[in-house]
Amino acid sequence: MNRNLLRALAFAAGALAVSLPAFAGAYPLQVARNVIMYMALALTWDMLLRSGQISFGIAGLFGLGAYATALGVLRAGMGDWLSLAFAPVFAGAAALLIGFLILRLRAMYFSIVTLALAEIFRIVIHNLHDFTGGPEGVVLDGVMLGGSAAALYWLTLGGLAVALGASWWFEKSKFHFALTAIRNNETAARSSGVDIFRWLLATFVITSAIQGLLGGIYVQSYGFATPDSVFDANFTLLPLAIALLGGIHSTIGPVFGAILLGLSSEWLKLRLPYGHLVVYGVIIVVVILFMPQGLYGLARKGLRRAEGRAE
Amino acid sequence: MTKLKTEHLTRAFLGLVAVNDVSFSMDEGEILGIIGPNGAGKTTFINLVSGIIMPSSGRVEYKGRDVTYMPAHERARLGIARTYQLIHPLENLSLIENVMVGSIFARRHGLKTARAKAAGLCESLGLSGLDRDTSRLTILEIKKMEIARALANEPEVLFLDEVMAGLNADETRELIAQVQTIARERKLAVGVVEHVMGVIKELTHRVIVLEAGELIAEGPYEQVSKNPRVIEAYLGGAA
Amino acid sequence: MATKRRTTILVVLGLAAAILVAIWKPTVLIYGVQQAGLYAAIAIPMGLVLGIVHIVNLAHGEFMMIAAYATYFACRATGMDPLIAVLPAAAVTAAFGWVVYKLTIRRALKAPELNQLILTFGLGIMFSQLVNLFFTSQTRKISLDYVSASVTIGETSFGVWQFVFVAVAAAMAYGLKLFLTRTTLGKAALAVGQNPKGAAIVGIDVDRTYGIVFAIAAALVGGMGALFLTRSAIFPAVGSPFTMKSFSLVAMAGIGNIPGILGSAILLGIAESLLRAFRATRGWADIVFFVLIIAVILGRTLKWRKS
Ligand SMILES: Nc1ncnc2c1ncn2[C@@H]1O[C@H](COP(=O)(O)OP(=O)(O)OP(=O)(O)O)[C@@H](O)[C@H]1O
Ligand SMILES: [Mg+2]
Repeated sequence: MNRNLLRALAFAAGALAVSLPAFAGAYPLQVARNVIMYMALALTWDMLLRSGQISFGIAGLFGLGAYATALGVLRAGMGDWLSLAFAPVFAGAAALLIGFLILRLRAMYFSIVTLALAEIFRIVIHNLHDFTGGPEGVVLDGVMLGGSAAALYWLTLGGLAVALGASWWFEKSKFHFALTAIRNNETAARSSGVDIFRWLLATFVITSAIQGLLGGIYVQSYGFATPDSVFDANFTLLPLAIALLGGIHSTIGPVFGAILLGLSSEWLKLRLPYGHLVVYGVIIVVVILFMPQGLYGLARKGLRRAEGRAE
Repeated sequence: MTKLKTEHLTRAFLGLVAVNDVSFSMDEGEILGIIGPNGAGKTTFINLVSGIIMPSSGRVEYKGRDVTYMPAHERARLGIARTYQLIHPLENLSLIENVMVGSIFARRHGLKTARAKAAGLCESLGLSGLDRDTSRLTILEIKKMEIARALANEPEVLFLDEVMAGLNADETRELIAQVQTIARERKLAVGVVEHVMGVIKELTHRVIVLEAGELIAEGPYEQVSKNPRVIEAYLGGAA
Repeated sequence: MATKRRTTILVVLGLAAAILVAIWKPTVLIYGVQQAGLYAAIAIPMGLVLGIVHIVNLAHGEFMMIAAYATYFACRATGMDPLIAVLPAAAVTAAFGWVVYKLTIRRALKAPELNQLILTFGLGIMFSQLVNLFFTSQTRKISLDYVSASVTIGETSFGVWQFVFVAVAAAMAYGLKLFLTRTTLGKAALAVGQNPKGAAIVGIDVDRTYGIVFAIAAALVGGMGALFLTRSAIFPAVGSPFTMKSFSLVAMAGIGNIPGILGSAILLGIAESLLRAFRATRGWADIVFFVLIIAVILGRTLKWRKS
């Protein structure tokens, strides 16, 4: 019964999300697009986190994907859809190469290296003036899908669907066992036949490809890319805060985290012209100190306690 | 038939030789005791043959194949399994999921098959309440879970590193009987590390004794326990 | 022993690079060394915290930024020179650092290392965004005459004020060395850094020591904030690049090796300054640190795997 209820709720939420353009105006639709984008990024960050690896490099892969799409159109003459497909391929390939080098690193060493790599990508793109347009970036001829707000919203929703699907698949497949085992105890995992490096590499490539895809969608829906816009640290920071608040190691946590934080920061943005991002910093600090399992973790604990009492 | 053997296996840690020139072999269906005072190198020895750490020199052979430098996960797939002296539960997986891990990765079974096999293994070890968190298990249950997880690899060689430690007399008796049944039914070669000599005496067919990394005696327990070098090693260790 | 050898290598490399550059383009050397002084003086406090409290403080640069803002407003209100404010700024930031330690860091010390990393990451964002919230992202600067003092030797003429950073960095390294080896508190801190459990057993108050070390580091970086203001414009995000740069230097020197930070700073300062000297490579100067940090970390894991 519980499961059916959940399924019905998920279905209703999905229907609502798909039909949003039918009754929402331009501004709410824009807000929804932001929320969806960050939700998807938070999911990909969490998927890698399930193995215990913290990436500070989301913005790097996002930016690579964004530039892959933009330059695919401008330099290789790709069509809009092809350029979108190129973003995950490029980001995934880059992740494969990088992964070979850095997935033997653990803990803070891994995190710091991902942060440094994101900066390196930004600086490289910044400096290859002739090819990437340098600091001024590149502008596409136009926005994809004729610039229709509804169609672009659905495009972003499509990106989210990919991230949600992948996250759900990770929860239901061997990935769940591999990543949890690696996070809990690498030695025990090895003795049970888990090829740690291979699973980490697969996870890193998949999550990076999705981040690249989202970058591609971003470029196609705004029509331009500059190093400072697509490698913006917010693409790392916000997903992290979202997943932490909602509850890590789950699909549902980042989803709720994104809705809560996305809407509240949008509301704050209207009130505070500067520094509305402070809420993200505060949330990260408060969550880490007082509820490391996030809201979903709290809810789960509460439920379990209630069940225990009912027994 | 020889399942596993080592030749001159040696491992040094920054000058301390934890395992020194150990050559031994284990046959199908044999339960081998590995004994020695604290710090003798028993756990290090198991780490070496299971691939958790790599040797400084020497050779490990499994069913005639050189596996000296093979990574641990590949050895697990070939059929070498082990448990850990310090328990290693996967605390974010339930009891049955812990056991499934071996089946999923060492045997590459699908999740359904793995679950069915894990349930069978748990039952044979007398484990119930399979969906519980590992935080709700007793020591005995955790130890059994770890044995089940190792058995889920469907190994031919199994090492048990002090699985009886921390159990009371009844629990120990129960687990001894189960290990014997499992070894017999699966024709396993089992290496058992224990400090309680009663367990070694009852469980093993043959014993090797390590002291300061070296193999100092070998043979049936009755015989080895009268060996003056062994007695001295233990007395020396106790003093 | 290993750190001593590493320091020697760094110093020799740094000197060799310095001499080569000095002959070829003296201003590159001079500006490189000046920049190195700034980097090292900011990195040394981070090295202190990492070496003793064993946490990477990703809010490190923000401590400096906050001190610079506090100094800025104090100077604007009173007409005081930022130089006079160095000590008060250090004192205020020390108190601030102590409070931050007590309220947040301390609670995360027993948590997994990654929680600490995310915590300080969050603190950094909170600090810079709070400043952004109250003071907007506008850049602020105090213009001082003596900062533009310059010297001409032969054909080359260069600013001299920034040598103050070199002096401060050297003083910090030397002062910390004396503190850690000569004073009771310093010795206790060193013991805690090497073995907190053992130190607790012999009766050292580990928590208090951590708090004090954190406060000292905050004081040093806070004083640097005031000093930084003499030369540079400030804005909310001004501190964050220094966090990564500091970490690069600390990692390159090896954790616990404070003099090594000076050596690596000189190497990198000159490398950056060299790239900045030519129009074609100017934009690439920022990449030096990031490439370095990756190289150092990868190199170190290779070494671990061998042993
Ligand atoms: N990773 C390591 N680094 C350095 N020394 C080690 C390491 N692992 C084990 N040793 C040392 O090797 C020696 C053998 O240790 P080992 O754990 O194999 O002994 P053991 O026979 O299993 O002892 P016990 O009965 O106490 O479990 C000990 O002196 C130990 O300190
Ligand atoms: Mg042992």
